[in-house]
Amino acid sequence: MENRLKRSEQPQRVLPARRVSLVYIAGLFAVVLFAAAMLPCDSVAAQEFAPLPPEVTNSVVQPNTVIQSNSSDLSPITSSNSSGGTSIPVTDSLSRIYRNGGVPNSLQEMRALEAQQKLVAASAMDCTVSVQIGPAQGCGVIITGSGYVLTAAHVAMRPNKEAIITLSTGKRVRARTLGMNRGVDAGLIKIDGGQNEGRPWPSASLGSSDDLVPGMWCLATGHPGGYDDGRGPVTRVGRILAVRPDAIVTDCALIGGDSGGPLFDLAGKLIAIHSRIGNDVADNLHVPVVHYDYSWNRLAKGEAWGFLPGFKPVLGVSGNQSVGVAQVVEVKPGSPAEDAGFQEMDIVEQFGDAVVTDFDSLKRAVADTMPGERAIVWVNRGGQRIRLLVEIGRSD
Amino acid sequence: MPMINIQHAVHATHRAAALPISVFCGLLALMPTAVAQDELPEWLRARPGVGLVNRRDCQAMADLVRPVVSATGESIVQVICDGRAVALGTIVGADGYILTKRSELTGDPIRVRLADDQLLSARVAAVRRANDLALLHVDAAQDFRPVSFTSDSPAIGSFLISPGRDARSIDIGVVSSPARAIQHEGRLGVYLENDSDGRARVERVMPSSGAEVAGVVRDDRILAINGQSESSKNSVMRTLHAMFPGESVRLTIERSGATLELDARIREFGLMQESENDSKVNGPRNSRLSGFDLVLQHDTVLEPDECGGPILDSSGRVVGLNIARAGRVVSYALPASLVTSEMVGMLSEARAAAR
Repeated sequence: MENRLKRSEQPQRVLPARRVSLVYIAGLFAVVLFAAAMLPCDSVAAQEFAPLPPEVTNSVVQPNTVIQSNSSDLSPITSSNSSGGTSIPVTDSLSRIYRNGGVPNSLQEMRALEAQQKLVAASAMDCTVSVQIGPAQGCGVIITGSGYVLTAAHVAMRPNKEAIITLSTGKRVRARTLGMNRGVDAGLIKIDGGQNEGRPWPSASLGSSDDLVPGMWCLATGHPGGYDDGRGPVTRVGRILAVRPDAIVTDCALIGGDSGGPLFDLAGKLIAIHSRIGNDVADNLHVPVVHYDYSWNRLAKGEAWGFLPGFKPVLGVSGNQSVGVAQVVEVKPGSPAEDAGFQEMDIVEQFGDAVVTDFDSLKRAVADTMPGERAIVWVNRGGQRIRLLVEIGRSD
Repeated sequence: MPMINIQHAVHATHRAAALPISVFCGLLALMPTAVAQDELPEWLRARPGVGLVNRRDCQAMADLVRPVVSATGESIVQVICDGRAVALGTIVGADGYILTKRSELTGDPIRVRLADDQLLSARVAAVRRANDLALLHVDAAQDFRPVSFTSDSPAIGSFLISPGRDARSIDIGVVSSPARAIQHEGRLGVYLENDSDGRARVERVMPSSGAEVAGVVRDDRILAINGQSESSKNSVMRTLHAMFPGESVRLTIERSGATLELDARIREFGLMQESENDSKVNGPRNSRLSGFDLVLQHDTVLEPDECGGPILDSSGRVVGLNIARAGRVVSYALPASLVTSEMVGMLSEARAAAR
């Protein structure tokens, strides 16, 4: 499907396809990064290409085996945390557009809108962060001085993973993933303590996604294409096109690398988190911030649950729990497992980071991955241990 | 039938209305709330991109800003190469000089369509490869109305307005990030090593590269580029690095004892690596997206053939010149300060040559 409305298209052909064309925006970038890292570049064959950006190694991250389930049970979203913040007062002259959206009535009103956009853009910079987990890169937004970071579930991937947060100043800090509601693509990360000399982190003022209506103006920041220190966060301004319980659609154009980044209203309050896109430049979906509030305790405890429709991770093997090991009975034709070289009778022993003991534990390990993610799998084939690389597929 | 009326309404209010998608979006947005959601076909319910009237880039916004851009509209032309509209142009001299995006000038003859619909022949009077600018000259016994650039640079979040020829179309966006330089990412698409004679031997050809399209294969020896002989892998790499995306090179190649000449295009490295999905979400782009001394990054959804025209702030001041549609979230404009300094040099060069 074309991404511009100027192109002629037959709706019968394009529209049904667009549902399956929604793609995760950080997941996409993760795949690109991975592919780039795979380019052969040995010392013999000199290349005409520029060197790849330096890989982030995990060596700066201290091992940390416990998920910090944090003291406060109170969600910062309802407990009106107001240290610092991105909130910008809305003047009377702008209150109509702020609340109801719509096109300015006059050039004067448009310039008032513009002045407000500039203020919000400036205040949104500091709390917008880049999130790097392994080779994948997405975004997040700090919402408390103590360092809670809202992101997308598919950026955080799994609970208790090490993450590197890059602030808009370029400062890099260690963090760890907490919980995620994959059913709406909401994820939570906490910056490890003791990294800011006792000072609070710059944080976003929290808004509500309850009063949103189509036509309202909004502002997105993030790191499209990944963090670029010569550029910093990238601002986009658009309008809300649809409000659904599970997602807000805007024409703030997003792309790979933006996932997890913040969407602000004209008062500088956080209303949603970037999640996924369709091919059309106006198909940009964000997770309403209220979902973080609904399940704050579960997120803060490091629970992970749910699947986004169409994004259930799939391997494509079947087996029996009763046999006591994760033995493959059938490899589905055309499945990620077949592409990766799985064979019948293979006994799966390790899937990514997870040790696999029986078929149920394999199912759990697959459920903990994200579509598009690549996992190294060790199988026992006739007494030999074999390494396979699988790219996780997806289904409804 | 109400659908027809709605369709007409959408046609009347959207410059790009000739397509079914916008019709259906408009339909959904304008539908009375009494219509139950489940009476709609599934694909229409699932369509999230509803509400063209609610888009930032709606016709009402274009109408709102029209008064501030109308004065500049006269100074915007369409550039036509070999019968195809390739870019916009910005009139910068009353004596018929027009700035445009150089890498889009890919065919002859070059003509420009003025605001008043006149179609005039043009020739390239000066170029600045480093910033992808060309200065065109049209020979006509009439005065042209040049734009004047402002030295102010708009802050992040400021509205930017990109009018088309005669401001018939108007695109709107905002400044996305601070002005910065964009290193060029042009590549021929070959991995090289030195053979036993010290000549550059092709080790591998990158898929989707200009080298692949031109028919370069493994073990080809590159003897010369654009007629200049190349002594080694390093000299080939140096020469290629000086070439910008969108430019062509003539390669003199030795293959199995025979010498042949191949014309190959330098392409954006990012585009060669891009997946099919990335390519879809990014949409149509220019062939040259990188290699600019300074750019204003903005989020206006431009078509590739809308580069070369001026970009205005919300007061109608010309703050730059659109130079590339670089991706789904990225358009680049050269800021007025850079355009002005390049323009002054190009104009004096062109006028001196014309005397």
